[in-house]
Amino acid sequence: MEENSLHPDKWVDRYADYLFNYTITRVNDREVANDIISETFLAGLKSMKNYKGEASERTWLISILKRKIIDHYRKNNSAKGQAEVKMNFPDSDNEGDWLEEKVADLTDMTAEDQMENRELGLAILECMDQLNEKQAAIFKMKTIDGVDTEAICNEFNISPSNLWVIIHRARTSLAKCLEKNWF
Amino acid sequence: MKGISLMKLSCAEAAELCTKAEYKETSLREKIRLKLHLYFCRTCKDYHKNNKKLSGLLKKADLKTCSSQEKEHLKNKIKSEHSQISQQQKKQ
Repeated sequence: MEENSLHPDKWVDRYADYLFNYTITRVNDREVANDIISETFLAGLKSMKNYKGEASERTWLISILKRKIIDHYRKNNSAKGQAEVKMNFPDSDNEGDWLEEKVADLTDMTAEDQMENRELGLAILECMDQLNEKQAAIFKMKTIDGVDTEAICNEFNISPSNLWVIIHRARTSLAKCLEKNWF
Repeated sequence: MKGISLMKLSCAEAAELCTKAEYKETSLREKIRLKLHLYFCRTCKDYHKNNKKLSGLLKKADLKTCSSQEKEHLKNKIKSEHSQISQQQKKQ
């Protein structure tokens, strides 16, 4: 890769989805996530002259984003006074003493599963960076947003068979990349 | 003759149909052709399996994207802020 430099006009196209996924798995709220991302971009603009080019653009933005997320947690906590810890004690008055209620549900997602899924999502998005922009855009629309084939064809002005070739290529390179980086 | 045309399917074509099948947009004819091909072709069968795995992973990751509206909004914000900052720097 050539020397690292910042291109703020391309930030949204390149990193918005990545940052959004990073944030939403941590704050669980679309609006809050969007606010945090826009704050991150603005903070990035303001401190552009401090960017030394040692890290890649993405790493640099992520480091800002992490701070913003921590700030968000702090703000939330000070608003409430302090962190709240909720615990559920079994209440024998209200519920029967069924075994099912006392045994952990194995089908429940554990924290480890969630963490793994979180990392998986980011790994997939990183791999998507290697696709060219048009491929990535079409693939995202089809796979993540579930847009109709026809609608995508109209928007990009391509034929359906063309679309399938593009998606097929995107999937193939994605699979290769994931094989290398994930398994 | 019709039966023969059903059987004629190169591996490259089959691979594309595999992808299409992952999005459940194959026609009945395409489905039959793909099934037949997979029955004979070991390589494509493996490919089909991997493709399914990829779909599973994509589903599991549960990716979300910003809507294009939100992106447009962000872009405008960055643009205005960026021009403001560069103006300030010129003044200095």
